[in-house]
Amino acid sequence: MSEFVERAVSVSTETAAGRRSIGLLLVAIPVFLVIWLVIWPAINAISRTIWRTDADGSSSFDLSSYAFFFSDRYSLDNLAVTLWTTLVCAVLLLVICLPIALYLRFSHGRLPAYVQALAILPMFVPSIILAFACIRVLGPNGMVDILLNAVGLPKIRTPYLTPWGPVIGLVWDNIPLTVLILLSGLGSVANQSIEAARDVGANTIRVFWHIILPRISNSILVALSFSVLGIFSSFTLPYLLGPASPEMLGPFMQRTLRDVQDPIGAMTQAVVAFGFCILFGLFYVRSVARNRGK
Amino acid sequence: MKRRTFMMSAAGAAAGLALAPRMSFAAKGQIDWYTSSDTNILDFWTNIVKPAFEAANPGLKLNLVDAGDGAGIIAIGERAIAAKQTNADPQADYFESADALLPAGAIKAGVYTNIKAAGLSNYSKVNPLAIESEYSLPYRGSQVLLAYDTTKLKPADAPKTWDALVTWIKANPGQFVYNRPDKGGSGGNFVRRAIHQANGLDPKAFKVDNYTQEFGDEALGKAWKLLADIAPHLYDKGAYSSGNTQSLQLLSQGVVTMIPVWSDQVLQAIEQGVLPAETGLVQLQDLALCGGFTRSVVIENGANHEASLKLADFMLSEEMQSAILTELGGFPGVSWDHVSADLRKKFADIIPQSIPTFPGGKWEAAINDGWYRHVAPNVDRKS
Repeated sequence: MSEFVERAVSVSTETAAGRRSIGLLLVAIPVFLVIWLVIWPAINAISRTIWRTDADGSSSFDLSSYAFFFSDRYSLDNLAVTLWTTLVCAVLLLVICLPIALYLRFSHGRLPAYVQALAILPMFVPSIILAFACIRVLGPNGMVDILLNAVGLPKIRTPYLTPWGPVIGLVWDNIPLTVLILLSGLGSVANQSIEAARDVGANTIRVFWHIILPRISNSILVALSFSVLGIFSSFTLPYLLGPASPEMLGPFMQRTLRDVQDPIGAMTQAVVAFGFCILFGLFYVRSVARNRGK
Repeated sequence: MKRRTFMMSAAGAAAGLALAPRMSFAAKGQIDWYTSSDTNILDFWTNIVKPAFEAANPGLKLNLVDAGDGAGIIAIGERAIAAKQTNADPQADYFESADALLPAGAIKAGVYTNIKAAGLSNYSKVNPLAIESEYSLPYRGSQVLLAYDTTKLKPADAPKTWDALVTWIKANPGQFVYNRPDKGGSGGNFVRRAIHQANGLDPKAFKVDNYTQEFGDEALGKAWKLLADIAPHLYDKGAYSSGNTQSLQLLSQGVVTMIPVWSDQVLQAIEQGVLPAETGLVQLQDLALCGGFTRSVVIENGANHEASLKLADFMLSEEMQSAILTELGGFPGVSWDHVSADLRKKFADIIPQSIPTFPGGKWEAAINDGWYRHVAPNVDRKS
């Protein structure tokens, strides 16, 4: 009996140590990749934009590229349109995805399964295909115009090559992620609490406001910070659907690097983009930390 | 560490090694060739050039690789510079389309071959107008024209000078679109034509090495005024498509009446039925829209340097230059005297007296930056 206990104890300590080393090994690869592909280039970009080498070879501390960015009307317009697009997309995503997620959570049967499949579909459509589909459908003399024309209605004011073009594409592209995160958040809302609230006479709006919303506010924050990070740095959709000017930071950076041949300018824009993304990221980290703390 | 843990980490390490980029070495007699051009060029090389070259040079093979875009070529050029410094194999021999000045320092590092000094037997045939650098070989060209919808504009009324074009654009608001100058050569060369217009119609005024901040600001500033002046009369009160193909799409959907186009692209689009057969083509007569030559570069430290020079010479042969005309719809890189007489007669109507060109280098960056700052945002499109 004592021998058995001893063996059991030694096995459990061994597996704990083994698990720890496997765990560290599993974590090591993503951590290494993040350091190599994200953190190191970021540090590199920051140091190369503030510690610049002059024409005569001497290097010194120099913030002129940032001063230029924040005093240049054109760069600021691009930053503004990026923030505007991100904000509008975030609001639209919430308005569109929350009802879908609520519907999927509280209904049963065949139809919700189809709705869910439809909501997840954009995840499997590459954005370049989405962009050209948008052009064919919403573009000038596109499918919508043809249908409107067939019933004798005037043409739409096409969003193609206006700031609304990327908004439509980006919202559609980000629906799956947002719906899935909201849906997982809604899983933590117990049916009993809703029934209890109903029993004491709460109407639908009150149930939503006082029972559901407080439980999923964290998920909303997570969903929004995820999609906002992606939208802020998006490239393909604003490049193909957006106007030439003002342009979002993604196409702006690529153009500054390749077509204007100004790597320092492009890196400065990238560092500014990091700055904003860190702000959004902090929301996410804070909400996760708060959740863990509970 | 327990055996299982060890096995797992060993397996992980082995998998990591297998996924690491595998070393490969250039095969002897196989020319590693890269392009940044569109699919039609890759098809041309695969179906026409490769069989002809391999038949003419037994023992040599072409390995055709699509580098994606200009940045792809530049990245491989940088790899060749790094390989030169460590005496390693760059695994690249020939760039179908490259700018000899990019990546910066490639010439100085001795990575690009001086084609002029390389002793190619056909080099003297090259059109002198097309030569930009001794380190690159212009082997094909193409020109920008105006394409228009003949159902909306009669060929007799098509504008043939810049002023007539501007008058037409203003009289037909929303019917003209050109793409952003850095996103495709058709819009890019339309913008360059405006620069010529604003600076006395003299293409020789702009050279690859005469860009200065003052001259650039003054010369380009006048052109931005011309372009900003027509902007409110363009498609959607000043929208610009994001590439050559998107302009063609707007023309084919009947949204606009006229666009600038690459000659080879529009001929192909008409042939494939993307554009109707009755699409009209017109060139400005006071000064043609700019054209461009595609220039090849031979890598000096490539493993198959001799063979690559043979390929460069082969591309200038009458056989290949005729194929560029007949199969590709492009212009030859050699002077027209070196094209067969039959072809010269057949293409007499579209042989340009001269193809005006515009230098790259610093001018390109200045144009790309200036246009976005001064022309693109000028219009309040919400009004």
